[in-house]
Amino acid sequence: MTHTLDRIGLSENHSGEEIVILCMVHYKHKEEKSEEIQEIARTVLKYKPNNFIGFPLSIPEEYLLPMAAQAGIVTAVFTDMSSITSLVRELREKALGISVVLSGLFSDVRKICDETGLTEHTTHYTAGVFGKTDELPDHLTLEITTQCGHALVSSHYVSNIVKKIRKGMLTSEEGAELLAKPCVCGIVNKKRTAEILAKMAQL
Amino acid sequence: MYVDQDLCRKCADCLPICPVGAFEIRNKKIVINYDSCVECGVCLRSGICTEGAIKQVDEIPYPRIIRAAFSDPLHHHESTEVLGRGTEEMKTNDVKDEFTEGNVGFSLELGRPGVATKLSELDKVTREVISLGGEFATYNPVLSLMENPDTGALKSEVLGERVLSAIAEFIVPRERAMDVLGELVTFINHSVDTVVTVSLIARNDENGGHSLLDDLKKLGQELGFNPYPNGKVNVGMALVR
Ligand code: SF4
Ligand code: SF4
Repeated sequence: MTHTLDRIGLSENHSGEEIVILCMVHYKHKEEKSEEIQEIARTVLKYKPNNFIGFPLSIPEEYLLPMAAQAGIVTAVFTDMSSITSLVRELREKALGISVVLSGLFSDVRKICDETGLTEHTTHYTAGVFGKTDELPDHLTLEITTQCGHALVSSHYVSNIVKKIRKGMLTSEEGAELLAKPCVCGIVNKKRTAEILAKMAQL
Repeated sequence: MYVDQDLCRKCADCLPICPVGAFEIRNKKIVINYDSCVECGVCLRSGICTEGAIKQVDEIPYPRIIRAAFSDPLHHHESTEVLGRGTEEMKTNDVKDEFTEGNVGFSLELGRPGVATKLSELDKVTREVISLGGEFATYNPVLSLMENPDTGALKSEVLGERVLSAIAEFIVPRERAMDVLGELVTFINHSVDTVVTVSLIARNDENGGHSLLDDLKKLGQELGFNPYPNGKVNVGMALVR
């Protein structure tokens, strides 16, 4: 949820590869906006995200609405520009008075804003990772582990799953499902993760 | 978190799941290293242990409970009103207007990605931030750990606690932002014994422009870093009528 901006490996060469959406009610408005955040959850699901909050905990979709009202948050990942653009357009038309944060390439967010009549209000930029960077795992592993904003996806688990893919015990897609599970906010992009795993298994 | 030795069948399936590698084989037993474990809850929630041998104590004592508060997103952080160690920061800025045009928000996330940190490292950073004139955000959970907000010193009893990450969030006037960033990068590279993800928050201009990104790129060329082409953007949806 928090640091979706620190995802490593997004590039202008893969425009539209992923956009994370986070909708959040300011905590003081949680009670009065309960209906509206549930409407957001309903609308987000309609556009069939690649992953969404609660999914990794196997929470059924019907519980997502009350959960959204209780937490004041809805998060999801999209892997195509047309679905996320349509979703943002619909949310704009509904004018629910709830904050929406888009996380992805700045150029992709600009395209979505242009097409939906919105303007970037506040931006969170990453300068980089500093300090004891020699303790970090390799770049491809980081491309997977940094997808969880809370850093709950273990780099050892990535290596373990890559080994199993090499041995034919798992497919890349099954590996991506397993790696998406620790990220309770549902923001691991399973499609991109499967592609990275397939690449790692070839090495 | 601990492994119930009466139930454990030593299959070692749990070893890779821990983000900080706290599971160990010791004297032919699978155990959780009490010092390394940051109480993130991943092992328990994952259901990886089919024997139910991974267990949590009824109540984690203070100050160890701080590990869960800063590492487990499902642990409620009393000081922030949101789940997890994150805060609302810029996510609801179109409602609360906390980051204004004259200021830049800083977020220094110690331990991320995946290295973890002792709070003694956070103590070094909070002191440095205060000495550089940074003003800590009132919603930042780190404030609740401070013994002396004038110096940035943390409570002595928490310094040995290890967490998956801890975020120091503070505000600096826009005109000083790049100087402060330059000083902090040098300080972190020389004095901090973990990794730190550094990020900055700024209001966009009325056309949605990104002047801070240009400044970051310029400083990055001098200091040898590349700001990411991606980030997090509040698109002002709450203001749509
Ligand atoms: S998964 Fe469970 S049974 Fe297997 S080693 Fe770990 S704690 Fe023991
Ligand atoms: S609670 Fe988290 S840090 Fe502790 S052993 Fe389990 S997975 Fe590792």
